[in-house]
Amino acid sequence: MESGIGLRAPHVAEVLATRPAVGWLEVHAENYMGGGPAIRALEHLRRDYPLSLHGVGLSLGTAGGLDGGHLQRLAALAARLQPALVSEHLSWSTVDGAYLNHLLPLPYTEETLAVVAEHVGRAQDRLGRRLLVENPSSYLRFEHSPIPEAEFLNALARRTGCGLLCDVNNIYVSGANLGDDPDAYLDALDPAAIGEIHLAGHAVNDADGRPILIDDHGSRVAPAVWALYARALARFGVVPTLVEWDTDVPPLAVLLDEAATAGALLERHGGRERDARAA
Amino acid sequence: MPALRELQAGVRTAILAGDERTAAAAVRPDGLGAAARLAVYRHHVFASLTAALESIYPVIARLVDPRFFRYAADRYIRAQPPASPCLFEYGASFPDFLAAFPASRRLAYLPGVARLEWAMNVALHSPDTPPVEPETLRALPVLALHPSLTLLVSPWPIDAIWRANQPGAVETAVDLHAGAVRLQIWRADDEVVFRGLSPGEFAFRDALACSGRLDAGAEAALAADPDADLVALVRRLLDERVLVGPGARPGW
Repeated sequence: MESGIGLRAPHVAEVLATRPAVGWLEVHAENYMGGGPAIRALEHLRRDYPLSLHGVGLSLGTAGGLDGGHLQRLAALAARLQPALVSEHLSWSTVDGAYLNHLLPLPYTEETLAVVAEHVGRAQDRLGRRLLVENPSSYLRFEHSPIPEAEFLNALARRTGCGLLCDVNNIYVSGANLGDDPDAYLDALDPAAIGEIHLAGHAVNDADGRPILIDDHGSRVAPAVWALYARALARFGVVPTLVEWDTDVPPLAVLLDEAATAGALLERHGGRERDARAA
Repeated sequence: MPALRELQAGVRTAILAGDERTAAAAVRPDGLGAAARLAVYRHHVFASLTAALESIYPVIARLVDPRFFRYAADRYIRAQPPASPCLFEYGASFPDFLAAFPASRRLAYLPGVARLEWAMNVALHSPDTPPVEPETLRALPVLALHPSLTLLVSPWPIDAIWRANQPGAVETAVDLHAGAVRLQIWRADDEVVFRGLSPGEFAFRDALACSGRLDAGAEAALAADPDADLVALVRRLLDERVLVGPGARPGW
């Protein structure tokens, strides 16, 4: 299985012109909800590449209810592009009609689980397909958040039938910021639910004299995150893997090189799986 | 611990109004204080929305000091945060905000230039709509201008100001008192373009856009310019492929 890249606006023309050897493409759904040249370019590309639609604005964790109009736009886009995968986040962004452009954290409680599960169910009904839900990168934990995040995601998958998008970099970033063990987090996720893996770079910033990792998707994947990715493959098997880059977007070749590194790990792991089956 | 709904309202207040009392009380300090942890989120919200405004309003960002742009964006985001997750739709009211913003009152042409940039943004993202073909013109009772098209009038030479502030533009002095401009902004063959319209052509297209009727456009054109060539006005609409059937305006 080949790895994919997150397709961003600065690379669209080059990908259209050169059709690089990459397994698949993922785009942020909200960037294609208008008309014009952007969506038409994507309609061309989807003939040559499997496509994944990654939503960033559905706000599955909003207590006040899902934005039905936005869900409708996502469903219309999915119907138009027929992507192989559709994913969203375990987070919230919208409150009382204001969209706070960020994947904001949730307290992991039974109340939150009921809210998110209802919204995932509604989204899956409207989309007519399984949604993948991604673990967020976190900079805080709420006082009252008794359910561990991995367990919360497993419960969400069990309750709604959704799959999980395991962002390995996010696990690493949250682990460093909240003092959790990334290996233990990974080991706690239900392997059967994992439908996609994300990889990206992060920044190390200073917050009041203490390092804080920022999930800025602005550099190459860190060595520790590659190690965590190898562990994820060993545990989950071969899973479609995507490399994302959103800040200081580099030349396309750099992104393709990162995707090739992920592809080589996937290939090696696929070989091992085949050997194990043959034995 | 507040219920989820109250907690989210508290985080909104912490991010947009800078009042962290409700949200911070619900956050575990854990080595780094609750305020510093909330600040990471707040910073990203403002930095990313400011960047979104700057990508839609690059000439405004160039015309003012970078610190001023960030300040204006900060005030705008607090007062009018996005209503939709599609950020190409964010900032429609930024020109009006600038017009009422005391700190930019000295730059009287700023809101007009901002309206031009917003119209270009609308043109870029508007839906693809097939134009009316000449042979079907008589069969359509109601007409409209292409959804990508905006008509704009300004007492300032906003087109010249825009051109002079493009990357790589040769430095030229813009005569701010050159008189009013009437512009049409639209998307042609995937390119966002604009051109000046004569008073007669502007009146023709404006009345057509409002009424959906060619005869209303013709009446307005003759009122603005008794010598207007009505046949030429209709022909140019068709040649530019900006005349469409009814119900084609975008919903935003």
